[in-house]
Amino acid sequence: MLNGSKLYNTIINKEHHKYRHNVDWDLANEYSNKGLSPIERMIDRFERVANEEKAVILPDEKIVFMRTVANLPAIFTEKEWEDINSKHYIHELGFMSNLSPNYYDTIKVGLLEKRKSADEYGKRSIDSIIALSDKYLEEAKKQGRDDLVEVLSRVPRYSARNFREALQFFRILHYSLWLEGNYHNTVGRFDKYMYDYLKNDIDAGIYNEATALELLEDFFLSFNKDSDIYVGVQQGDNGQSMMLGGMDENGNEVFNLLSELCLKASCNNKLIDPKINLRVSKKTPAERYTEATKLTKAGLGFPQYSNDDIVIPALESIGYEHNDAVNYTVAACWEFIIPNVGADVANIAALSYPKAVDTAFHNSLILSKTYDEFFDAVKSEISKETEKIHKNIKDLWFIPSPFMNVLMDCDIYSGGKYNNFGIHGTGIATAADSLAAIKKYVFEEKTISKEDYIKAVDENFENSPELLHKLRFESPKLGNNDDFVDSIATALLDAFAQSLEGKVNCRGGIYRAGTGSAMYYLWHANEIGASPDGRKAHEPFGTNFSVSLFANVKGPVSVIASMSKQHFNRAINGGPLTLEFHQSLFSDNDGIVKVGALVKNFIDRGGHQLQLNTVNLEMMKDAQIHPENHKQLVVRIWGWSAYFVELDKEYQDHVMARQAYSV
Amino acid sequence: MLGTIFDIKEMAVHDGPGIRTTVFLKGCPLHCLWCHNPEGLISKPQLMFKENKCRHCGLCFKPCEHEECKPFGRCVHICPENCLEIAGRTVDAAELAKELKSNADVLGDSFGGFTFSGGEPLFQPSFLSELINLLKDYHLCIETSGFAEEKIFKSVVDKLDFVIMDIKLADSALHKKYTGVNNELIIKNFRYLNSTGKPYIIRTPLIPKITDTENNLLEIKKIIGESNWEKLPYNALAGAKYKMLGMEYKL
Repeated sequence: MLNGSKLYNTIINKEHHKYRHNVDWDLANEYSNKGLSPIERMIDRFERVANEEKAVILPDEKIVFMRTVANLPAIFTEKEWEDINSKHYIHELGFMSNLSPNYYDTIKVGLLEKRKSADEYGKRSIDSIIALSDKYLEEAKKQGRDDLVEVLSRVPRYSARNFREALQFFRILHYSLWLEGNYHNTVGRFDKYMYDYLKNDIDAGIYNEATALELLEDFFLSFNKDSDIYVGVQQGDNGQSMMLGGMDENGNEVFNLLSELCLKASCNNKLIDPKINLRVSKKTPAERYTEATKLTKAGLGFPQYSNDDIVIPALESIGYEHNDAVNYTVAACWEFIIPNVGADVANIAALSYPKAVDTAFHNSLILSKTYDEFFDAVKSEISKETEKIHKNIKDLWFIPSPFMNVLMDCDIYSGGKYNNFGIHGTGIATAADSLAAIKKYVFEEKTISKEDYIKAVDENFENSPELLHKLRFESPKLGNNDDFVDSIATALLDAFAQSLEGKVNCRGGIYRAGTGSAMYYLWHANEIGASPDGRKAHEPFGTNFSVSLFANVKGPVSVIASMSKQHFNRAINGGPLTLEFHQSLFSDNDGIVKVGALVKNFIDRGGHQLQLNTVNLEMMKDAQIHPENHKQLVVRIWGWSAYFVELDKEYQDHVMARQAYSV
Repeated sequence: MLGTIFDIKEMAVHDGPGIRTTVFLKGCPLHCLWCHNPEGLISKPQLMFKENKCRHCGLCFKPCEHEECKPFGRCVHICPENCLEIAGRTVDAAELAKELKSNADVLGDSFGGFTFSGGEPLFQPSFLSELINLLKDYHLCIETSGFAEEKIFKSVVDKLDFVIMDIKLADSALHKKYTGVNNELIIKNFRYLNSTGKPYIIRTPLIPKITDTENNLLEIKKIIGESNWEKLPYNALAGAKYKMLGMEYKL
């Protein structure tokens, strides 16, 4: 096992950071003065940084390449960037992120072969990568590392001949994407494409399962060498998602020895990268869920499950070809994307359900004679909001990435085969619980007057403690297998999906409604004050497709029942139900088998996506006081796992406020 | 038929085979010093106060009209932090059975069954019997101290699929000292259970210096022979609930 070895400790103790340095080049002004085009700037920076990179090979390290230049200087001056922003819609940092590039065909043919069909900039990027790997080759020779000399003499110039070369090749490609400045570079269906290399080596007697696992652990470790440089909203939000299992084009399950070893490698390494996803379906045997639950037990917040039975037909129904739909993987977090040919922007915006409810509550409740009339007002607010999002996103522009384009089977800038936009939906439980309370108390029981209700919410319930208590703790909540409120969540999701139907986005694609929240569960929560479900001002929403933070729910069985009733075929951008389990549940094999059975049940019932966390509240509390003792404590945030002590406190507090099911 | 319960727990993984739901019946003839469910000890409803969340706003002391709050002189329907809760609710067996079945519907074939725990479920024999009859299509299990009239023990155990029974102390005098009752009845009931051929597990909570002694474990082994035997490690957090109930944890 690699865990505990000198190499492993070097990386987790960040000792390899000593090889890093920052460059202080003022590229932006230089490029501006020369009048270089964006793509010329990108390739020039790539060449310079690649040239500046040094070859570092650590003792015993089998999969090499790590960043020694820690920063990427800006390519636009502030003024230029402002100018671009004023003329175009810029998504996040400006790159086309969340793609699943075709590493695997490149590994099969080699970069020299890819060079033949690449454009001028692609060729230059390939030349830089080869030059950098030659530096590694020289360093390997100098260190007398014959094994690496053999590997690097072959890849990345030529096709990989065996498992080790294929893994090293992957590492070089993935590293190069990051070096180019792209982010949220996902891994895709790793076991489907890399299995043949492993199988051939095992058949030839080069590896057995144990030695292959050890190599894989070294490969997995490589995802953690530079990930601290790749910060998203928080440390850990880096999008290195790996997909395992799932159906192939003929409906057969892909899960193979490599898939198994990946689960084990992740379990052994206990590191947050790569983030493991598992595609499952009714065909998935119970034992596989047990194996996967052993990884859940490791406390890394994955695997995250996606249900082929729901996702594939849903993607087909909105226009994805069968062979592409069956090949789906996930973006950085959970958005369903198509490898190689998909250029969807799966996280372009987010709808806040509670805001729609809040607006209708203030503007339409008084006038509504029935609940249905009021719900129509909520629907109308949802439509207005999605229309606003649609109108706002015009002239979307991306910073060109020459090497990313080499690895995609389509020209991502002029448009991929799919150019759809995904929109998250935040706070569905807060909204559904609010509507359930309004329906029950205002329209059915008539025990709260509309005026009093609005006043109480506007006063943040300061003068109505009894109402607050009743709304928070004694009212119907999503997650209790209660149709009264579950059906409202269904209606909200349907309304969201419906509001996007027929809209054509500025790249010619459609919009996809989603069940994820990303970081909006904190942001959107601050856009409104208190809400009619008894949520007080500034309290956050649940993440993704979850129950409300303070809801009294009966337990995980009721939660999976509530959260698998909705029409996910209409809202298939992705975003999981999240369940928190206390660590003690996994204390013996019996608990592991039972959690696995619960997951299987959720999938068999038609749930679309599920993510489980192992939490230990006591440990988190201690980690806030003594962070130095809990450096390796991992928690799941919204679509990614992170080291608890590296998070901002508001994210820490949110994780601690989520409901954990214990024995 | 009415009965009193204090909790229903979904996915109780240590309460029998499969994914189960456990219902906790309130009231127990034993008073084990180490009991980790003190709200199960007495039959009548009790006020549970989670002091650590209390902001001392005093709202709960305001007089209220709720019938259920009257015995406690505090209102349980006003706390902004939900610190106050009444442990124990009176339920009709038929309604409870209906509520419980919803889990079985959700889980289908992967549903393991129901477990009756407590308190001591045999302490409410008629209510328990009715529940068992209403749920007889499912795999049913009991967690019991084994302390019940032989007639009651037999009639219930005969209708169940699996039994989890405690034998805490082999010496009857020590048993009386630490649990409040002698163990003769328990051992008699164990012998009956053993004779039925029904699957069962014997559990012994390992309480340092009380049950977790070489001699006690040796003597229990003599009683139970080759029976399946689980020794449960002492839960150091067991005392936490006593304070919430205004009770004293003597261990």
